[in-house]
Amino acid sequence: MTAPESAPATASVTGAHRAGRVALVTGGAGGIGRAICARLVAEGATVVVADLDRDAVEATVGDITSAGQPAQAHPLVLDVTDPASRSAAIDVCAGLGGPDVLVNCAGVLRDARVGKLDPGLFRRLLEINLLGPLALVRLAAPGMAQRGRGAVVNLASRAWLGTFGSTAYSTAKGGLVGATRSLALELGRCGITVNAVAPGFVETPMTDGLPPEIRRRTLDAIPVGRAGHPDDVAGAVAYLARAPYVTGQVLVVCGGRSIGDPYAA
Amino acid sequence: MTIPTPIRLVHVVGSGALTPLVRRAVEVVDASAPTTCVVPRVPGRAPLAELSDVRLADEVGDALDDVLAAVQGELARLQPGGRLVFVLPAAPLMAVRAGTAASAVAGGVLSMARTLSIELARDAVAVNVVALDEDGPADVPPTPERGAALGAQLAALAGPGGERITGQEIYLTAGSDLGRSRP
Repeated sequence: MTAPESAPATASVTGAHRAGRVALVTGGAGGIGRAICARLVAEGATVVVADLDRDAVEATVGDITSAGQPAQAHPLVLDVTDPASRSAAIDVCAGLGGPDVLVNCAGVLRDARVGKLDPGLFRRLLEINLLGPLALVRLAAPGMAQRGRGAVVNLASRAWLGTFGSTAYSTAKGGLVGATRSLALELGRCGITVNAVAPGFVETPMTDGLPPEIRRRTLDAIPVGRAGHPDDVAGAVAYLARAPYVTGQVLVVCGGRSIGDPYAA
Repeated sequence: MTIPTPIRLVHVVGSGALTPLVRRAVEVVDASAPTTCVVPRVPGRAPLAELSDVRLADEVGDALDDVLAAVQGELARLQPGGRLVFVLPAAPLMAVRAGTAASAVAGGVLSMARTLSIELARDAVAVNVVALDEDGPADVPPTPERGAALGAQLAALAGPGGERITGQEIYLTAGSDLGRSRP
């Protein structure tokens, strides 16, 4: 991939980068994804809400449009582990003139201690949380480079720093962070930024199933004294999606837990 | 006559390019606890456009699968009180152009090590990462200094006092990465 003849630096700095963007948000109907979609639409983007769950996708698009926004959200059923589904998603975005922004938010959190970790589950988490997102970047990057602008935001996790009982999830998210840094080096001259957001404990359906004791200890270890809200993460994603001079970074959105005492109670 | 199994044996598992260097380095290591060095298979550089789904599955997915299998295969020997060391190339760990697949593997292993250091602490297993800079083309023998540096580091991690070192990432790069943010 080669850099465009004229970089769009001026347009980006003046904010034109934000106007009329087309964003593809995978996992867009999940707890965090839904907030990201709503935030990007509120900022003027056309958002393709992509998720495995058709009903949830329709509901998300309905919520966004009924909240008073113009019809800037498009539903799309997407399985990030399916090559044909990934290609179809990029084609849908291309029909809208994008994607200018790719938010890799689809993810699964299911794990076990390493001694009891099923290799099949490990691989499944790699496919959903790492390999699928990287394949989507590969598909989205040529169009972004051709337009001379683009932003990729990968949803990593604070688990990238290490979390008990989370071998598969942290490996996948660590891989995503590693790839984010190298992608930033490779795609920077094409006008494409690549960053990661690493949420800590965020109240979503994905974390609802945590045992009460684990939940209590987790909350006790968060310096700001509360769990994260999906909007906390959405704000970080939206920022990185329109920050043309920030790339290769990991923005940890965890209420300070990553700098706190992990054994605090 | 039965030959006793030496409990201080250092296992080297994995098929990464650094494996021969690690094997030579551990020859001088006098481990005070069961020790395993895992040397992941980290792919070479390739532009993003060339990373087909098949290549991602093979070079990233299969490589990380192999690391998990290697760790699980060594767990019983390491628990309790053992030492687990992942040896990685520093360049993809730090980030390198056209290094998406390599960095995905290296970053994945780094985070696996971080999690295992927390998880295996209750079994007194120390888990660390040693990152080596590149020494030149693969067909050129490494410099003696590089092997000596690795041997000394592995000796520190596997020897007396090594039980107090866990969850660390040690870059044997002669300062070539100074000023760069680490993953």
